[in-house]
Amino acid sequence: MTTLAHLRSATFQWPGGRGIRNINLEIEAGHWLTLLGPNGAGKSTILRLLAGQIAVDDGELLLFDNPPNDDARRHIGVVFQEPTTDDLMTVRETLDLHARLFGLSRSQRAARIEQLLAELAIEDRAHDACATLSGGLRRRLDLARALLHQPQLILLDEPTLALDPTSAEAIWSRLRQLRDEGCAVVVGTNDTAEAEANSDAIVFIDDGSIVAHGAPTELTAALRSDSIELDWPSCSPDRLTELAHLDGLGALRHAPPTLHLTVDRAASFVPALFQRWGDEIETIRIRESSLRDAWFQTVGRPLNAEVDP
Amino acid sequence: MTSSLSACAALLQRELRAVARSRSQLYSSILFPLMLLALLGAGVSDGLQPSSPILGAGDYTDFLAPGMIAMTAIFASTFSSASFYRDRETGMLQALLVSPHSARTILFGKVLAAVVIGSLQSVAVLILAAVIPGIDLAWQFGWLGGAATVIAAVITLNIMLNGLALLIATRVRTMQGFHLIMNLALFPLFFLSGAFFPLDGAPDWLRIISYINPLTYPVELIQYACWASSGDGLLGPAITAPVLAALALLCILLGLRRGPAALR
Repeated sequence: MTTLAHLRSATFQWPGGRGIRNINLEIEAGHWLTLLGPNGAGKSTILRLLAGQIAVDDGELLLFDNPPNDDARRHIGVVFQEPTTDDLMTVRETLDLHARLFGLSRSQRAARIEQLLAELAIEDRAHDACATLSGGLRRRLDLARALLHQPQLILLDEPTLALDPTSAEAIWSRLRQLRDEGCAVVVGTNDTAEAEANSDAIVFIDDGSIVAHGAPTELTAALRSDSIELDWPSCSPDRLTELAHLDGLGALRHAPPTLHLTVDRAASFVPALFQRWGDEIETIRIRESSLRDAWFQTVGRPLNAEVDP
Repeated sequence: MTSSLSACAALLQRELRAVARSRSQLYSSILFPLMLLALLGAGVSDGLQPSSPILGAGDYTDFLAPGMIAMTAIFASTFSSASFYRDRETGMLQALLVSPHSARTILFGKVLAAVVIGSLQSVAVLILAAVIPGIDLAWQFGWLGGAATVIAAVITLNIMLNGLALLIATRVRTMQGFHLIMNLALFPLFFLSGAFFPLDGAPDWLRIISYINPLTYPVELIQYACWASSGDGLLGPAITAPVLAALALLCILLGLRRGPAALR
């Protein structure tokens, strides 16, 4: 498999202090890699490094076997977290501008724009001003813009944020197709369901560092079938020792006031739990174990928690 | 190189289209200087009836016209620089910067567009001033040479102003802050440029300040080309043209040098 991008011990720090540390990644053709982490974890920074927008402070980045340069961006498509449309331009003008920036000839532009407008089902809005587009249509336009020059590497930062399920699925579906055609897809998200459904590999990023990396099945392999999340402020070390002796318990992670457990069968485990300590437990959440639980077990807090700057 | 030129041409077309669609910007950039020319010109000429020999026939409107051509460039460059902030706020700038062109090329394309738009608007005011009855432009080098000098001056002035705006934009993150600084800096400088009153005959302290002021040089060059019947009382193109060119070069080089670092 062809490796399109390497990050080796990459470090970058923003002026405010946030950034990434010692990141090692390989991006391969025909592969879907998801960067999973809370807001502020460093996903966007990694994507911006891969897009050649910023340079590593330390370590190494190779894009297409070379240090980043302007020309490498000919092979990279980027969809940013926020829409990047100009309200004064029409959909077709937007695509035409970017196609010209990527050096497409007049005939190539016309053909490619028609093709993408049709593929992403926005051809009937081609002459409308971007100001009139819904959020979903703007995201589709962003994706069309990123695909104009037929990139080998597609970088997407929360591409379906705040989209309705139909619009989101239209984007995921097109991205899966591109991956199957040999493109490398790198997505930054904090949505575990999306990550689990589409990724070949997932990287957990927390506070600027990679804390886990593997296929979705590898990351969830250590989990038992059900997960239980308890709000249990008075849970003491003694309680944890006692809990560890209960039958069917898998992983246990205590991040006060939350206690996260994976168990073989919640239906038999929970009655035993409440029989002993039901008066101390304030809330319980039970679900089938998923990537979300792998995150909690790895990091020690739920994925939706913001990282302090 | 061809690819960079093509990118700049694409950015220029985009900005021209945006100005054509943003009619209020277009009209206010051209109509406000014309309105000032008509109202202030007529008001001072007829109301105060200035008798200074500097004004020749005593028509203040004729004197004011070159300053209004320069003012159009100031308005246009301020509006055009606002597009930099709009692009930053809408994310468009990010999308432009992931194209296979350097940040400097993208900035150059935007500055080029701003210079073209500002120059076209200034030339539109020049043409209107030339054809409106009641304004008598006095062409120093014949009308063709005079018009060419004015056009060269407004292009160079626009380069200077857009380089300056780019420098400010790299330091000031918000559009409100940018407009505040532009207004605080440019309008006092413009009042001191000799656009509203002749510097010849002004008190020494005022003339010293005015000759330190970079806007004095384009205003005097335009006055020399299309207002002054002789070079008396003006610095003359041998001084104003090279100083203006040097200032424009300095501003644009500094702007393009420091601009890319502020984009990340």
